[in-house]
Amino acid sequence: MNLFTKPMRLLTAVVLQQRSDQVVKALLKLGVLDFIHISRLEPDQLEKLSSRPSATNRVVLEDLRGRVEALLKQGHLALPGESTLDVSLLEEPQIERYRVVLDELTQVLLGLKEQQKVANQALLGVEEMHRYLEESKWQYLDLRIGSVKEGKSEQLGEKLSPYGAFVEPIEGEFVTVLSLRRDLAHVDPLLEKFGWTEESDPLLQKQAVMLVRTRLESEHRKLIDRRGEIERSANQAIAERKEELYAIWSNLRLNELSDQIKSYFSYTRNTTLFSGWVPADQAEKVRSAIVEASEGKCVVEWTEATEVPRESVPVAVTSPKALEPFQNMVNNYATPEYGTVNPTIFVMIAYLSMFGLMFGDVGQGLVLLLVGLFGSRSYRLNPDKKEGLLTRNVTSLLVYLGLSSMLFGALFGSYFGLPLLPPLWFNFEAAVEGHAPATALVRDVYGILGITIRFGIIIIYTGLVLNWVNLFRKKSYVTMLLDKNGVVGGILFGTGIHMAFGFVRTSYRSFPSDPWIIPTLVICLILLFAKPYVQHVVDRRHGRTTRTFGQVAAGSIMEFLVDVLEIFTGYLSNTLSFMRVAGLGIAHASLMGTFKYLQSMVGGVGGVLIFIAGNILVIVLEGLSAGIQSLRLNYYEFFSRYFTGRGIAYRPVGLKRSSSADR
Amino acid sequence: MSSVDTYGFINAKMRARLGKAREEAVTEALLRAPTLVDAIAALRPTRYAALARSYDQSGDIQAIELVLLKMEIALHREISGYLDGAEGRFIAELLGKIEIDNLKNTIRLWYSSIIHRRPIRHRSEYLFKEEILHPVDWTALINALSWDGVVQATENTPCHSILLEHAEESLREDGLFHLESRLDRLWYEEIRRATSLLKKPDREKALELLDQEIDLKNLLILVRYGWHHRLEAKELFSLLLPWGEVFESREAGLYIETPKENRSANELLSRFLPDEQRIGDHSAIEEVLRIEELLARNRRRAYRRLLGGDPFNIGVALAYFFLNKEESRRIKAILNGKYYGFDEGYIRGVIG
Repeated sequence: MNLFTKPMRLLTAVVLQQRSDQVVKALLKLGVLDFIHISRLEPDQLEKLSSRPSATNRVVLEDLRGRVEALLKQGHLALPGESTLDVSLLEEPQIERYRVVLDELTQVLLGLKEQQKVANQALLGVEEMHRYLEESKWQYLDLRIGSVKEGKSEQLGEKLSPYGAFVEPIEGEFVTVLSLRRDLAHVDPLLEKFGWTEESDPLLQKQAVMLVRTRLESEHRKLIDRRGEIERSANQAIAERKEELYAIWSNLRLNELSDQIKSYFSYTRNTTLFSGWVPADQAEKVRSAIVEASEGKCVVEWTEATEVPRESVPVAVTSPKALEPFQNMVNNYATPEYGTVNPTIFVMIAYLSMFGLMFGDVGQGLVLLLVGLFGSRSYRLNPDKKEGLLTRNVTSLLVYLGLSSMLFGALFGSYFGLPLLPPLWFNFEAAVEGHAPATALVRDVYGILGITIRFGIIIIYTGLVLNWVNLFRKKSYVTMLLDKNGVVGGILFGTGIHMAFGFVRTSYRSFPSDPWIIPTLVICLILLFAKPYVQHVVDRRHGRTTRTFGQVAAGSIMEFLVDVLEIFTGYLSNTLSFMRVAGLGIAHASLMGTFKYLQSMVGGVGGVLIFIAGNILVIVLEGLSAGIQSLRLNYYEFFSRYFTGRGIAYRPVGLKRSSSADR
Repeated sequence: MSSVDTYGFINAKMRARLGKAREEAVTEALLRAPTLVDAIAALRPTRYAALARSYDQSGDIQAIELVLLKMEIALHREISGYLDGAEGRFIAELLGKIEIDNLKNTIRLWYSSIIHRRPIRHRSEYLFKEEILHPVDWTALINALSWDGVVQATENTPCHSILLEHAEESLREDGLFHLESRLDRLWYEEIRRATSLLKKPDREKALELLDQEIDLKNLLILVRYGWHHRLEAKELFSLLLPWGEVFESREAGLYIETPKENRSANELLSRFLPDEQRIGDHSAIEEVLRIEELLARNRRRAYRRLLGGDPFNIGVALAYFFLNKEESRRIKAILNGKYYGFDEGYIRGVIG
């Protein structure tokens, strides 16, 4: 893991045009080059370059790939992923052939779907009658027993089928006819035509009811089977062509990526030029690949990141896979500037400490840990599993949160809210409820608030130190020393802390009167006021400003006032903001205390149920609150000290982002 | 309870859903799909995944339409559950529109079966047969052997008295048009009554929207039946919804009283929609379609404007319902268009 963002190098290469396709394949396979358009050349050189329209429209490729994916989804088949992509199989896309394949398969499917629709409609008709029969709604049904004198009963059945009516032989010449009453206007004339003679034998009537029920049930089953069979046929039709669809998909995807790379290419008559950023540790690999693919007929030049404006260098940060949840937190916020500290490890430590302080309990932490472990395992075993409320990222995060909660739980001696073992640090719940022993390290809520304030100060100072490191690496020495988040700001913050703690020590009666306080404050404020002037002098020396001294002076007073205001209110509010950590922790302990009280009042099984329900409620609600508040403190109190988020992300072109869902 | 307390949660929820809907851009994905199979695939990763499941199982577009209707009803119930008291009851009352539409569909099907003697077979199974707002016995209605049976199936509902006013013979001769117009009006009566329970700002907002809707509907009636079908003044007047600016306007009165051959839809529309293009020389039916599209566009604009206004009133919920209904309508139209093999451009033209 890098403590700072990865060093980058800018590649510019010229290869012979006849080898450019091989170079594209090689670069695609490596997937580490973040291409840029060539624009840094001299204007007269740029004039000699030309771009070329793509041989294939990328939108067409994407649309066709979308169609392949639609068919695979229709067949409930997994979409091919990056693992199926093989650059050596990249070939010219046969658009027309692909279209024919897709159209043919679509037509087959639509034909099957039409059959399925007919089966479904027949099923609906049977279901309606079956439902009325089951619910004894005879008022909607018409059941008759009788005989056909003219023609055959089979013929009558055929004629009645368009109305959903059934003809079922009962005994001898007698048949039964079941139809809906609302269709009698159609059924009656047909019966008449077939010389229908009614039979009123009660025994036959009973038999008829059983017969039609059996018939309806068998028809129902038959039609459900038929409908399912057609669905399976549709799936089968797609499955049979799965390999072909996968191959088409892969080639389309490879061509899209190849086209994407080529879109960055510029051409002279015989050569191809391209440029892009590569992490420094991959540079040699990229160079070798280009040399090999172009059979040595190439020129590769490197430019160091230090030679170009920092803001144009893409930022690559690497963290071990285990730290992915915290890397995602950083990514969600913004991209760090090139060359600055990678905040992931600091976020991890800060986040877990805050969470543990708010949600310290060995038992409840164990539940989070188990949920996280089982969830992660489930995703690992089913890579295609759709993400629910507990996403992959959340399940990984829960493992850490569980461990943190368990560690702090042991420090506070809390096991599902019960003091099963003595605390390693202090009994949080006893301090909240005011019955901590006199020898305890922390005896009341004020003690807890004090801990979280101190914790906040550590976090804010860590942010300041990281900011100084970043500014030092950026060679922004004036800002590092004189800014409100620089050394001057840090000294003012420290002085403020000293005064605040002194004030508390005297039971809020007087501020400390150390002789160094006033001179320190005055010197710091003077330095703060001087900052724009010093910065102006430095900028002028490096030719980085066109502002006049008068313009700087005009802005400096307002800037100074705002900075002073921000230092005094911003640092104060940022520090006090950490009291929420104590607040959430106290709420956690109080809730557990309440549930234990309720449990003791009810007793027995009811008490146990209350205890379990209370723990579940606390885990869900308090766990969520603690998670959100920790994130908030990281984003606002910690990041605001050092994280500008002005970087641009490193996005190499490679065999990733495979399905259209990612587009 | 302040309006922020009442609408803070619902507003956030509605906006999150609208944001998600915008992100998913379902109708655009459906339109771009070259075939029905592709369109169904486009639904899978969206909140309409249930439609794709229904298609997998049945292969039937009408089954999908029933699922959409069920989703719409469930949405109304969910949102009305988030609001207490009069606001909740008002939102629940909006279901009355779906109920009236379902009733009209069911009566049409019954009419086809009993009056026209056309077998309806499985088609009755595409109807929504559970209780929506009032205890209509849908099964009894679709199986009724006479108009009396239909009327009986709607006992204890507000539409019962309207159905009682009609007889089978008159329906056989005149068709369902007047009955349906009367049912439409009933819903407006009911919903206007429900607004009286709301607090003043909500009441004003709801009435403003309803009046806009009524104005557009009245304009459509005047153009379609007064200009295209050339109904007599008395009959035309009876079709109008008796509220709103258009109904009360002098221009509408003059238009109705003008001999039916000389009525000018142009003049009428230029009074109420001055910014819109005047009616050209297309065939009358094309013009009516164009005006319908124009009015629908105006309605969409009005509801979209609501979303940019005060977030803490009933308007946001109403706008959400409208936009959701619009999306459902578009999905239905596109899927049907894809089923019949129409191309993207044509379907775009039809759905507006």
